[in-house]
Amino acid sequence: MAAAAGGSRTYSFKVVLLGEGCVGKTSLVLRYCENKFNDKHITTLQASFLTKKLNITGKRVNLAIWDTAGQERFHALGPIYYRDSNGAVLVYDITDQDSFQKVKNWVKELRKMLGNDICLCIVGNKIDLDKDRNVSVEEAESYAESVGAKHFHTSAKLNKGIEELFLDLCKRMMETAQADERLKGNGSSQSASSRRGVQIVDDEPQATPSGGCCSSG
Amino acid sequence: MSQRTERRGIHVDQSDLLCKKGCGYYGNAAWQGLCSKCWREEYQRVRQKQIQDDWALAEKLQREEEAAYASSHGTQTQPHSQASAPQQQPGHASLGPFSKFEEKKTNEKTRKVTTVKKFFSPSSRTASKKENQEGKTPSPSTSRRASFDTDQVSRDFVDFLKNLQKPGRDIHKQCRAFIVNMSSKKDLSADELSECVQDFYQGMADRLMSHFKGSSEPVEQVMDQVEKYIMTRLYKSVFCPETTDDEKKDLATQNRIRALHWVTIQMLCVSFDEEIPEVSENVVKAITDIIEMDSKRVPRDKLGCITRCSKHIFSAIRITKNEPASADDFLPALIYIVLKANPPRLQSNIQYITRFCNPSRLMTGEDGYYFTNLCCAAAFIEKLDAQSLNLSPEEFERYMSGQASPRFGGSEGDWSGGGPAGGAGAANPALAQLNHNLELLSSLGSRQEAVAEAARGLQADLLSWTQSVEREVHGILEKYPLEVLSCTVSAIDANNMDNDNLPPPLTPQVFAG
Repeated sequence: MAAAAGGSRTYSFKVVLLGEGCVGKTSLVLRYCENKFNDKHITTLQASFLTKKLNITGKRVNLAIWDTAGQERFHALGPIYYRDSNGAVLVYDITDQDSFQKVKNWVKELRKMLGNDICLCIVGNKIDLDKDRNVSVEEAESYAESVGAKHFHTSAKLNKGIEELFLDLCKRMMETAQADERLKGNGSSQSASSRRGVQIVDDEPQATPSGGCCSSG
Repeated sequence: MSQRTERRGIHVDQSDLLCKKGCGYYGNAAWQGLCSKCWREEYQRVRQKQIQDDWALAEKLQREEEAAYASSHGTQTQPHSQASAPQQQPGHASLGPFSKFEEKKTNEKTRKVTTVKKFFSPSSRTASKKENQEGKTPSPSTSRRASFDTDQVSRDFVDFLKNLQKPGRDIHKQCRAFIVNMSSKKDLSADELSECVQDFYQGMADRLMSHFKGSSEPVEQVMDQVEKYIMTRLYKSVFCPETTDDEKKDLATQNRIRALHWVTIQMLCVSFDEEIPEVSENVVKAITDIIEMDSKRVPRDKLGCITRCSKHIFSAIRITKNEPASADDFLPALIYIVLKANPPRLQSNIQYITRFCNPSRLMTGEDGYYFTNLCCAAAFIEKLDAQSLNLSPEEFERYMSGQASPRFGGSEGDWSGGGPAGGAGAANPALAQLNHNLELLSSLGSRQEAVAEAARGLQADLLSWTQSVEREVHGILEKYPLEVLSCTVSAIDANNMDNDNLPPPLTPQVFAG
């Protein structure tokens, strides 16, 4: 859905933030967009929809970061959120094996629903708590590689790895968008296809939850 | 005196009672002195004229709109030829159409007056007939009235496009053509209609994109106006169309939300503290905004309502938690608001926005995010079960069937069941107050009872006390009967033993005098 325009093109990307509650999704994105952590002076009213303007190798990029509700009972709503997204950041807590398991479920679901159009980033957050680590680096990295995702280690508290994570994601999304454009030739047909994507078909969210359950079970 | 009044009373000439048309029947003052038959004829003639006038006005408006274009367009090309005086020209040009608008306005005013008159005109009896008449004639009056609301929008649209020089005219032409085209496609399915509108948006956006050489801001502006213009006109025919089951879904959702009236903040884990006045104020505002959505016609305005509602929710969370709200806070809160508000025609509105909103807004922007969350909330409410509220299935079943209400834990009657207290009390301050008052009253009653009881006890006590005292006295009296001792009454001096020792009484001494 990269809205590419004429001469000086601007890319608009939608990135969904997935992860169980308490893995630090909000801290991560607040650190990235506001450069603050657990700060009383955070000015933004909310941390669920944030935007960031970037300039990558002379190209302007508008990043819209969509937070999602991570509690289990909202799991079935995932597809409504990540429809038409260009990228997904899947966050787990390195001290919590369960949260990594959740990430695996999401990856399966995303690949099933969106195929390879979506760029995935798997993020092990809270590396400042390395002494309590429960998810091994090797396991996480090899898993990420096996599903075609990049793996990053971050700490919102120490502000480590976050810039790199989003920069890399943006670069990959740009590549995907450019490849898409080349494939489709002109811009109009590309945007036409993007338009089709927005039509919310009512039974689609029904279809996925069952898939989600199967994959988790 | 009395004779004179009588005479005045019957002073009605027979001819005054007859129909003014002179057909020989009696007339009626309510029908302006005509008989029913003549009145009906007369009325229909007036009505026909009205319809024709409306037509003429509609055509005139149409011509004016076109003329406004031509003039604005004409003057905008002029500065090219007369580059020396470009300042003066536009000012002068804008005078023309404006005066015309004035004229249009006064026209509308008079029209309004006549409609009002029409309402107050007599013969409520013929009202049904009047409507039949209206229905029969292929008159533009109904469509005319609908477009009456849209006149303002058209005018704004024209004003906006005036700034755009040549393409403005093209855009207007295309939009008009598209609307005419759409009105002939009424029997298409909703998805096909949506496809048409989206194709139109797409085509328009592409053209604008190439015209503005890729800068997206003016394109967005124009697209917003185009959307507003088109959707205001198409709203009636494409909102909740008969070809879809939107209406059925609306009803289902509405009933579902009603059945879920007992869901509390705690079950949804919403971080609102409604004890804080600012929070409850924001909650009320959010509810108002989401309800208001139904009254808007343009998809973008509907989105605006959702966004405003979301902002109020964020404020409420921010005040409660003192930190920015994440999606984990926001979604449950939105669900709660939707449950409390039960917004009218929720599904229809969601479908309408999805089908006819300009896609660029829906997919990337902030509005899109909030709209997505609303879709999630609707989906969640539809599928909500015991697990998603952290309840046991039995509890959920009991609450759903209205046998119990979570607030009072169990056996107490449900509000809808006529019981004294309601589960919704927590959310509704008035209801809470009511409950409170009821409790006070009942406690007052019981206290009064206690006082009365005590008073009765006191009375009994008093009675028994007097009796017991009496009994005691009697007992004592019996025990110690009253003996009257006989006592001998004697002279005072009788007992004096030593009288003899006393000196003799003084005797009076006589002195010689």
